[in-house]
Amino acid sequence: MDVTPIFEAKNIVKTFPGVRALKGVSLSLLPGSVHALLGENGAGKSTLIKVITGVHRQTSGQLLLNGEEVSFGSTHDAVAKGIGVVHQERNLIPRFSVAENIHLEQLANSWLRPVNYTALNQSARRWLEELNLDIDPAMPVSDLSVAQMQLVEIAKALSLQSRVLLLDEPTASLTSSEAANLFTILRRLRDNGASLVFVSHKLEEVVEICDRVTVLRDGDNATESRPMAGLGRQDLVQMMIGRAESGGTWRKRDSAAQPVVLQLKDLATSVGHKDISMNVRKGEIVGLYGLVGAGRSELAKAIMGRFRVTSGTVEVAGQTARITSVADAIHKYRLGYVSEDRKTEGLILPHSVLANAGVPIWRKLSGFLGGLRDSTVRRAVSPYLEKLEVKTPSLAQTVGNLSGGNQQKISVAKWLAAGVQLLIVDEPSVGIDIKTKAYLHDLLRELADSGTSVIVISSDMPEIIALADRIVVMNDYRIQGEVANIGTYDTMSQAIMGLIHRDPHRAQVA
Amino acid sequence: MTSHDVSHGSNGPISTPAPSSGAPSSGAPAQLSPLRRFLLTNEFGLILLIVLFAVLFAVTTRGFTTPFSLFTLGRSAAVNIMIGLSMMAVIVTGGLSLAVGAIGVCAAMFLGYLIQSLGMPWPLAILAAIAMGAALGFINGFAVVRTGLHSFIITLATMSIFFGVMVFLTRAEAFRGLPPVFADFGKMKFATYFSPLLLVTLAAALGLGWLYRYSVLGREMLAAGARPEAAELSGIRVGRMIIYCHMLSGALAALAALMLVARNGAAIPSMAGQLGQDWLLPAFLGPVLGGTLLNGGRAAVLGTCLGAFLVTMLSSGLLLMRVGEFWVQSFLGLLLLLAVLMDKLRRSYLARRNLV
Repeated sequence: MDVTPIFEAKNIVKTFPGVRALKGVSLSLLPGSVHALLGENGAGKSTLIKVITGVHRQTSGQLLLNGEEVSFGSTHDAVAKGIGVVHQERNLIPRFSVAENIHLEQLANSWLRPVNYTALNQSARRWLEELNLDIDPAMPVSDLSVAQMQLVEIAKALSLQSRVLLLDEPTASLTSSEAANLFTILRRLRDNGASLVFVSHKLEEVVEICDRVTVLRDGDNATESRPMAGLGRQDLVQMMIGRAESGGTWRKRDSAAQPVVLQLKDLATSVGHKDISMNVRKGEIVGLYGLVGAGRSELAKAIMGRFRVTSGTVEVAGQTARITSVADAIHKYRLGYVSEDRKTEGLILPHSVLANAGVPIWRKLSGFLGGLRDSTVRRAVSPYLEKLEVKTPSLAQTVGNLSGGNQQKISVAKWLAAGVQLLIVDEPSVGIDIKTKAYLHDLLRELADSGTSVIVISSDMPEIIALADRIVVMNDYRIQGEVANIGTYDTMSQAIMGLIHRDPHRAQVA
Repeated sequence: MTSHDVSHGSNGPISTPAPSSGAPSSGAPAQLSPLRRFLLTNEFGLILLIVLFAVLFAVTTRGFTTPFSLFTLGRSAAVNIMIGLSMMAVIVTGGLSLAVGAIGVCAAMFLGYLIQSLGMPWPLAILAAIAMGAALGFINGFAVVRTGLHSFIITLATMSIFFGVMVFLTRAEAFRGLPPVFADFGKMKFATYFSPLLLVTLAAALGLGWLYRYSVLGREMLAAGARPEAAELSGIRVGRMIIYCHMLSGALAALAALMLVARNGAAIPSMAGQLGQDWLLPAFLGPVLGGTLLNGGRAAVLGTCLGAFLVTMLSSGLLLMRVGEFWVQSFLGLLLLLAVLMDKLRRSYLARRNLV
């Protein structure tokens, strides 16, 4: 190798009481390269990132920067040494301006000096231009789109002179065109000599952008810093899970003869939907595709009674439904909604697995004076938690302590336990690993086979083409049209993109 | 009495078979024996402190262990615990109520008016006074839910409004002609040491313990307080739950005020200080010492009782040590800060050791 690594982690061991999260993991980063860090949830990726960025201190092992051993007592130390990180969770302060967010570290260092906003904005603009981001630095971050926030975070890391930049699932909430734009920028940073670490569950992206790869499995290196050349998606999966990918693929299902469970007619809502008409049959999986901001989650919430329907009708199982609250939707009409935002909308993180899985059926299970015992709830929800193979030390475990995949399983299990006739699943595979994703897909198919109707909302086109019987395309709070899924990616993706870009004024439901 | 952490639905020593094989994921906490788990709780720390200070006061002061002193201690503790529980009922929603004192005084004055001016029989008047407390709580809850403002602002306003209207209506005059049954109840002793007021408080605490642990209503209150959006999307009517929490708080505040009426033998407008502010310190000290999360979603009933008891004991013990009243207040303020700090340390210790 003629290039010397800019950063190396050697035999990193990190133990927590009772758990050996990293068992001697190594990684070496070259300048001018995009390095993929892969692994299932729980493989140790986040722990390794935390060690590299100074959140945790390793139990043993070395970190070398330009060949010299370094030790980070805090994230501040790591930042000072040029190691930047863009976390999966947003770390921006919403009400602060873009420029203030970018220069937060510098601002915090001089707390008595008045802030020179002109200089601040100017310097911020330089970093924004570097990223082709045409926004006003004085604008508050809360007015930006998710993709723009992501780029602002990268700008922030760059402004700190980061030579190593870790990106943890940067595309998780981006649309494909936004992701493509991000990749262009990442390539340019790479060509300028930056060393990037790219963490993602989307292997197509990894193959596309990364030139080297490290795979972790159960706290060990399955592969250490090898070139990506010659590796395909399947090889990566094999390294990650130790065997070939399983899990079903799309199969033809026919529910044309089944009764309609949900029918929306010319719906308009208080959040801005217009002329929404669509239906879902019993046992059918309908994909709701659209770019982020197309109004899909909002439509789901309007169906669930969270937002007001201003005109048009909702029919559930042939009867006109007046849904004025989510409680109505769940208890009267047996509808369920798995939110894309598990942490604030899907689960009550500080409460137990049992409490979370049981919420929608508490009322049904309660006895005299509204009394309710844990054993009753446990009897009702355990079968579903077991069926979904939720891994938790006990049902008393706080949900916030479980992995993303397990959290997602719990947020699905609670609706299975509630016995819904229609389940709306919003971005089912955001932040979960391949194994769990394949598992969830199988589960949704199985659920539909047993007669439950499913609406899958996703911005991940391969996912929606793998799952749906029929795909409804939304844009700008309207339905652009729908297509029957034939399961072949090329044909379907073209048809879907065609619908998205169709002139909205001529859009008609097929 | 309920265990320390009623929010978690299923907890404590109940062992549940893990629904799946496979090791816990790396983020999962280490498993502790029930005993060690208890030793790391807030409640255990409070019990330790109570014993410590009790011994200290018994040794250093004369009169701390006399039957009369213990009787008055229990009587004050009963009221303070009730005030703490009243605040806890709102903190559960992630909010707070500055109006507990004002609501309490209004309810007590309402009782006096019903009995003395309208001649209503006292049992009925008690029920009406508690209903009055709940009704004032409803006003708070309704305003919070409808305006979307923080309960701090709403209750800051209603505290003044309630108190002002009460002073106007009563002309700030006390009702001293209450039937002797109140004063008798306040003076009554059983087993030489105990005030029956403690029984009222015990009953309320047990009821709340049951509510949060074993009833749908209580569980929904906790869920609504912990993550309102997630609770709403799970079919809980969050707005309604917040209103119920405020009503419960109002009813408990009324109960606390009625206990004070029994102790004083009269309903006095200034029984909780100007605007009812004298109640605020005990109201927050109990729940906060007891480990009720200020961001909501967790109710520590036992902790609140222990916390409020500790506070009462400290104030009466310090007074017996002839420390000036103003020092007692300063000391209690300091205690509040210390308690919050200790709890933060305990939590970060537990989190760092992955024990939560």
